[in-house]
Amino acid sequence: MAEWDTFILNDFKDLIEDEPEVAIIRDLTPGRGKYRSTYARIKVSKDPKKYPETLWVRLGKGQLVETPCSMSILEFVSVIPKGM
Amino acid sequence: MAYKYYKDNRTYFDALLKAGDGIVVKEEVDWDLEMGAIVRRTCEKKGPAAYFKKIKEYPDFEAIGAPLATYRRLAISFGLPPTTPIPEISAEYLRRTNSKPIKPKIIDKKDAPCKEIVWLGDDANLLNLPAPMVHDGDGGRYICTWHFVVAKDLDTDFVNWGMYRQMLFDEKTMVGPVLAFSDMGKMFYNKYVPKNLPMPFATVINPDPLSAIASSAPSPIAETDFTGQLMGEAVEVVKCETSDLCVPAHAEIIIEGEVIPNVTILEGPFGEYTGYRVTPRDPRAVYRVKAITMRKKAIMGVSNMGIPTDEGQLLRSFSLSLEMERMLRDQGIPVTGVYMLPESTHHLVVVGVKPIYANIATQIGQLVYGSKLGPWFHMVLVVDDKTDIYNKDEIIHALSTKCNPNTGIRIESHAVGSPFYPFASLEDRIYGRVGKVVFDCTFPTDWQTAVIPIKVSFNNVYPRAIQEKVIAKWKQYGFSE
Repeated sequence: MAEWDTFILNDFKDLIEDEPEVAIIRDLTPGRGKYRSTYARIKVSKDPKKYPETLWVRLGKGQLVETPCSMSILEFVSVIPKGM
Repeated sequence: MAYKYYKDNRTYFDALLKAGDGIVVKEEVDWDLEMGAIVRRTCEKKGPAAYFKKIKEYPDFEAIGAPLATYRRLAISFGLPPTTPIPEISAEYLRRTNSKPIKPKIIDKKDAPCKEIVWLGDDANLLNLPAPMVHDGDGGRYICTWHFVVAKDLDTDFVNWGMYRQMLFDEKTMVGPVLAFSDMGKMFYNKYVPKNLPMPFATVINPDPLSAIASSAPSPIAETDFTGQLMGEAVEVVKCETSDLCVPAHAEIIIEGEVIPNVTILEGPFGEYTGYRVTPRDPRAVYRVKAITMRKKAIMGVSNMGIPTDEGQLLRSFSLSLEMERMLRDQGIPVTGVYMLPESTHHLVVVGVKPIYANIATQIGQLVYGSKLGPWFHMVLVVDDKTDIYNKDEIIHALSTKCNPNTGIRIESHAVGSPFYPFASLEDRIYGRVGKVVFDCTFPTDWQTAVIPIKVSFNNVYPRAIQEKVIAKWKQYGFSE
């Protein structure tokens, strides 16, 4: 399964689990595309095995949370108006 | 008459190598943190600039790190000997920029090295540029750290070159802060955004050193013309592929596109010039890419911001202080010099003045904080003309002995500031609100001569004849230099 990461501005303990929400996630697949960002509607769990994708969490100043979460990507979302 | 200068970073780096201020890294380096770590370490060790010949996954590119992180390199960029003292580099800057502005010269595309390779449409893919992951924990790959952004006013011919950081988001998108008080911010938020118009931009990566210096100087003169002043002849520019903007023809990589109005994307965090990762992920301006042009075997430019000293602190301190000196002289203030300490991350400036009337320090504070330079610093130390503004020992001595805590510290609580101040609250950072302070390190003008303390130093309390005798016989006494 692919690995991703995301940044959260609140405390890790306040992470919303199992509810669909839109977030920016970064693809951690090695290669030229590493760290490519995208908006996506996702569901997250602190249980690293609950959803198919691995999601690492970083806090507001870039601090990495040591244990990964799991994530399901429901859909990719674009915030850029069409044609731009 | 043209001064000695370098038209591109290739010839400039040759000069750095010759002076012992650059090294060539032949070992392959990873764009993912390794290159950034090397650049950071050499900055912290005050070491040489690095020319990376092999970058993992990007065989068609090279990179230069820490191109202008020391005063030695600054001197070399002006064509001066690397050992030139700071006051002499400053004098050279002021001499050149007191001349008549010189308009840029537009050259044909076929003569412009930055057009050797042209990527348009889907080929203009940012992931195919060796954008470094500069620090672990950054919000993305900072593709633009040694660069400037070209933008044009909607209603006039005014063109701005400014260093606005840009983070790679995806193949076609970059994001970055465009502060409302900056020149580009005034254009974009005042004119393009209300009309919902995209603003054409061109990002110039790894420009020649004098164009880079001009782009970071807060001068009222257009940066194109200011570069001409620094060079002593017109800077050669070339038209963009997708807009009527012009860019320096000898730069390494050009990214063209549009800043999208009324759309933001979260950007950051990033290791910033204050030496901290301060600002959280914030909604920032969105740059959409339409074209990328470059030289063959293009060289990415990498500046790694962090604790002093790197380009962000050095260049900004240098040009801010000299533009401040020019402005104060224009206002008739009898300044003897202005020096901003790069170690202060351009937050603390020392102004030397002949204190010929009361509260001249307050007036200096009002003038510099009230100018367009003001948002970038918050501490002004005013010292008398007997204090060497470049000597940290003398500055600390003046601050701790002449500044009266009851009467010599003037605080302005409600001033405009940048969002990058580490000491500011999150809310104050968001709204750009800070305090400013003036430290008056001059003795009051109403004190009688007999009351003013006498500085006890070799130069001040011995007759000239004794000083000369002691200096002449110094080695004879048994001292080394």
